[in-house]
Amino acid sequence: MQRKLMLGFFSVLFVLYVAGPVLWLLSSSLQQESEITAVPPNWLPPNPGLHNFTAIFTAGDSAEYANRGLSGFLPSGAANLLPSLYNSLQVGLWVAVLNLVFALTAAYAIAVIDFRGRRATLYTVLATRVIPDIALVVPLFLVIRNLGLINSIGALVVTYLAVTLPFTVFILISYFEGIPRDLYRASRIDGCGHWGALRHVYLPLSLPALVAALMFAFLTSWNEFLFALVLTQSAAAQTLPIIIAGFVMDFTTSFSFVNAAGVIAILPPVLLAVLFQRYIVAGLTAGAVKG
Amino acid sequence: MLARFSYDDRSAALLVLPVMAVLLVVAAFPILYSFWVSLHDIVLTRPLRRPFVGLENYWRMLGDARFHTAVLRTTVYTVVTVGVTTVLAVGVALLLNENFRGNKLLNTLLLLPWATPSIVNGLMWKWIYDPTYGLLNAVLLKLGLIEHYRAWLGDPDLTLLLISNAAIWKQMPLAALLLIVTMKAIPDDLYRAAKVDGATVVQRFVHVTLPALRPGLMLVLVYETMISIRHFDLFLIMTQGGPGDASYTLSWLIYVETFRSLRFGTGAALSYLLAMLTFLLSWLFIRAFGERNG
Amino acid sequence: MAAITCQGLTKRYGGVTAVQALDLAIAEGEFMVLLGPSGCGKTTTLNMIAGLEEISDGTLLFDTRDVTRLPPHKREVAMVFQSYALYPNKTVAQNIGFPLKLRGVAPAEIARAVAEVAEQLELTALLERRPNQLSGGQRQRVALGRAIVRHPSVFLMDEPLSNLDATLRLSMRSLIKRLHHKLRATFVYVTHDQAEALTLADRIAVMQGGVIQQLDTPEGIYERPANTFVASFLGSPQINLLRQGLPRPGWVPAGREVVIGLRPEDVARPGDGLVTLSGRVELVSPLGSETQLELSVGEATLTLRVPKDWRVAEGETLDVGVDPARLHVFDAATTMRIAP
Repeated sequence: MQRKLMLGFFSVLFVLYVAGPVLWLLSSSLQQESEITAVPPNWLPPNPGLHNFTAIFTAGDSAEYANRGLSGFLPSGAANLLPSLYNSLQVGLWVAVLNLVFALTAAYAIAVIDFRGRRATLYTVLATRVIPDIALVVPLFLVIRNLGLINSIGALVVTYLAVTLPFTVFILISYFEGIPRDLYRASRIDGCGHWGALRHVYLPLSLPALVAALMFAFLTSWNEFLFALVLTQSAAAQTLPIIIAGFVMDFTTSFSFVNAAGVIAILPPVLLAVLFQRYIVAGLTAGAVKG
Repeated sequence: MLARFSYDDRSAALLVLPVMAVLLVVAAFPILYSFWVSLHDIVLTRPLRRPFVGLENYWRMLGDARFHTAVLRTTVYTVVTVGVTTVLAVGVALLLNENFRGNKLLNTLLLLPWATPSIVNGLMWKWIYDPTYGLLNAVLLKLGLIEHYRAWLGDPDLTLLLISNAAIWKQMPLAALLLIVTMKAIPDDLYRAAKVDGATVVQRFVHVTLPALRPGLMLVLVYETMISIRHFDLFLIMTQGGPGDASYTLSWLIYVETFRSLRFGTGAALSYLLAMLTFLLSWLFIRAFGERNG
Repeated sequence: MAAITCQGLTKRYGGVTAVQALDLAIAEGEFMVLLGPSGCGKTTTLNMIAGLEEISDGTLLFDTRDVTRLPPHKREVAMVFQSYALYPNKTVAQNIGFPLKLRGVAPAEIARAVAEVAEQLELTALLERRPNQLSGGQRQRVALGRAIVRHPSVFLMDEPLSNLDATLRLSMRSLIKRLHHKLRATFVYVTHDQAEALTLADRIAVMQGGVIQQLDTPEGIYERPANTFVASFLGSPQINLLRQGLPRPGWVPAGREVVIGLRPEDVARPGDGLVTLSGRVELVSPLGSETQLELSVGEATLTLRVPKDWRVAEGETLDVGVDPARLHVFDAATTMRIAP
């Protein structure tokens, strides 16, 4: 009985702490500017509606802009939100797909093949993971500027690949090491080369790890801010976090729109995380016990 | 010539080539290039003159008052964030490791902060801390803890802690997940033996759980330290280093030096100092906590 | 091509030598068993023949073809594993047909070959199942099917029966023996089980410490063990090996330090030409068809197997006769066999 009470108490505390802030954001995003600036605040939206979202998504349409009769101020940057959503999606998908291909082959080689330079390769991959982003961002900016690739989706994709690959390779190596070695041996005896063993044994048996790697790569790209800030300059390549940061730092923007933009950015990653929870948790904690 | 390399060697080379190419171009090369940059006086507004200055950028920064402030701010921020995150994560892991109805739902909720983009995290907390319409003021007033609304982020004594709080909210889930995995690996027999020996709940935690948690804790400490020490996003979105220099951390200094003052030489030197600090700290942690688990 | 020749085959892992300059010539169609305790290098040797372990030193020939550096998928050998190693995502039919599919055989031809193999191994009813729906014995039959479907000239088997229960092991053993007679292929079979080795092998290579201790027919290995290791590794219960207490055959030079070996079953009632040993029965264990007993003779204790109609009781005194010609004599220092 006592245990039940304790668990209940701490569970409520946990839910309040973890979900409270997001619920408050969600509640604010469904209110008019006049409603969220009430003191004391409205805990729940008095007249919930998607007007803030509609306003943001139609900001590019100037005719619409005139007759909306908004209760708050939306910066001109709002017109870039839809393109940036598309950019984020594009970058995320490319990074995820390329991660899959690159990490799969590299992890197979490192986990399965006993080749010269195996250790050196493994250490190189792991070492790049501990270099701070902020230390990379200056030289990377210079390199990409010299290549004339500033403000291109491609530059972001390659950068995020380098950021995510060490981890996805690591997830897959941990998983591959759990696949019975005899299956690999059998496939080689049956006539598979390394490519065949990868295709016929490791690929079909590692779907959970692959999903985890995909999710991790996509979410990292979707959420990344610093590199995007430095490597992009216009709506042609800017991703969602950049546009939202612009909203926040522009003091004239109405809070209702800022909050709505936040909800737009939070929805895809949260949905993915909930849908693929099992795989993500397994991937994130892969190798944690072994150290 | 090619015959000297076995089929295994040749296949492996092909299979790791894409990853190695990306990492060399986007990680290894910039790191080396960055070192070269840090040895030169490069200012973007003066693109043609970039003299070699040796380690002068490093000396100048080490003697700069802003650098000293930044080191202090970074240290406070990192210690608070890592410390509270770890303690909180141990608590959450203990809760979620129990078997009870609703446990699954809580596990799903745990991923919510983790999946939240840091920019949204920043704007969300900034909105909560808002001096006139924020949730924090409303709640504290209602509870009678404050008498009138305050500008939380404008208070230099609190800014760093409030940013830290936002970071903890986002970083705690991963730490908790890592600890839960470690806890699940503790054999049940250990707890049964302790129970038979008459150990209380607290004693079981101290003598069974904590020692077994050591590798997980080390991982969490190293990982969270590396994240916190280089963190940037929240500082830009929430305070831009202010008020005054209250949240002027190393990463913010690097950003200002490089992209506002356009002094790439000193920016690169600072990046190197931060990278070395990160390595040094993780090495110390591993030395202190890891000697028994390789 | 089916004869296998190992010349100075060596495997080193870092500073550790797992197999040391192994010479072994396996004839076409022969059933060769590599026998030894775990860690003796037998599986490493098999893996080197398969191509699954790189050969550190030495040469490996299939007939006259040098395959030392050839990767496994180019060697055209078949292999059966202790863990069965069936692809969990494929059905039984797909598992068996997989080697053919990789060789670009037409689907219709694969289906025909799979059906034929399945018929032979009584797997026809199971073809659409997945490995996790099969029993251990069924799984190993599928693994055998995957090996024989290609009609390879070399079969490698790595402890294929070790994961099966005792009854199943016996029937699989005879199945493998029948397969060998039928296929006339070269078999290399790794095991630590002496009964498997003795029943299946044309010749046995007993290994220890990465070195072949003795290479001979099963009779030769059992009747004339080359050293005390081989003598004690084969035979159940173990051979009695004693420095004192057993009679010294007349031809052994006086003064030479030797170890005398007596197989438990090499005793009879005292009689002509036999040396009589007299002792006290310490323990009697009836085995059904015969009786195992422990007999203390002076300082020594002998383990013996005698016909059940001897009807001995614990505590009584028993005289047994030993034929000096059946005794094994080994040099005490080198452990090597000394022949008359």
